[in-house]
Amino acid sequence: MFHSVAAKYDLMNDVLSGGMHRLWKRFTIELSGVRTGNRVLDIAGGTGDLAAKFSKLVGPTGQVVLADINGSMLKVGRDRLLDKGVAGNIEFVQADAEKLPFPDNHFDCVTIAFGLRNVTHKEDAIRSMLRVLKPGGRLLVLEFSSIAAPLRKAYDWYSFNVLPRIGKWVTGDAESYRYLAESIRMHPDQETLKSMMVEAGFDRVTYHNMTSGIVALHRGIKP
Amino acid sequence: MLLAGLLASVEHGLNRVLRLDSTALARLAHLEGKVIAVDCTSPALQLFILPSDEGLLLASQWAAEADCTLRAPASSLLHLALSRNKTAILHSPEVALEGDSAVLMDLAAVLQDLELDWEYELSRWIGPVATQLISGHLRSRTRWYQQGFASLNQNLAEYLSEESRTLVGQQEAQARFRELDKAKIDLERLEARFERLNRSLDPSDNA
Repeated sequence: MFHSVAAKYDLMNDVLSGGMHRLWKRFTIELSGVRTGNRVLDIAGGTGDLAAKFSKLVGPTGQVVLADINGSMLKVGRDRLLDKGVAGNIEFVQADAEKLPFPDNHFDCVTIAFGLRNVTHKEDAIRSMLRVLKPGGRLLVLEFSSIAAPLRKAYDWYSFNVLPRIGKWVTGDAESYRYLAESIRMHPDQETLKSMMVEAGFDRVTYHNMTSGIVALHRGIKP
Repeated sequence: MLLAGLLASVEHGLNRVLRLDSTALARLAHLEGKVIAVDCTSPALQLFILPSDEGLLLASQWAAEADCTLRAPASSLLHLALSRNKTAILHSPEVALEGDSAVLMDLAAVLQDLELDWEYELSRWIGPVATQLISGHLRSRTRWYQQGFASLNQNLAEYLSEESRTLVGQQEAQARFRELDKAKIDLERLEARFERLNRSLDPSDNA
């Protein structure tokens, strides 16, 4: 489905979230603790929002890998970053999050923003991320989550009535946005994802709810 | 989220201003990779500043260790931001500086030396001809106001000292200060002579 929406992905994110996705990603950068010389892997990096920021933070001595399983999204991300002059310390890799093609203990930080929801075997993906992280490295999972109960009705109405319509107007594809609403409901809630990360072997796992739990940022450290 | 939104807006505005200066971004590029923490003690608030060749990144929290931490109450921070003599404020007891202070001083120097080319920015919006007209008009107005204030200042001083005699004139005041200085020195000299005389008359000293 991402092939059909890749070109207008950023525009749709702005329209559907009212620009909030920029603040969610900003918070992710703040908690990443990425410094000059670090090696960062951005899985399901899409159009490269996070990768562009990481590229600046790690500097010429660091390295950023933008990985996405979807070739169209990766191409849009690569073109966009090159147009912005982000190059030199960034690589683009088409890869499956469940079987990351990188050596063990390789990255200081791994991020996956709005991507884990679309991974079939989430436990395998989390274990794979743990493997490529250096001891002391951080995994950050930014994902839609379970919203606070009083807002659930309004949120459901927006997700199943407004969201697909806007999707149809802007990208001409309502189905992809119906899938988005359904996949958000299928995704593990805050506590479940936290326990999945702990079971995979992550230490000091915490999460931060954002915008009343529409989105949650989970962070775990590799022991 | 509210604070993050506010910081994002401030950051956007600040970076636009920095881009108006021809040297600011190049100077900030030397500080790339550095993290400056500003810890406001009252009210309790933390701000992290990360300079780069694209401007400043502001964050309410940063997971990595800061290179330099400035800890002070809001009043001192405001004073520090507005004052040209930053060293005096940095040495005051309520201000604490940890880590590499050169990073903070370099950032402060960049912000203090800003010379904004507002005419260039204006010309992008309204064109070069209109900008020239507006800037010419603004410059002549500014000159007129400066001359007006200087003249008013001079006339007022002259009126108060020469005509109404409410205040003492500058020359007169300086002459009086000179006399006072001379009297003070004479007094000190006399005091020293008394001291010497006192010592010479003291029998215990002679023994």
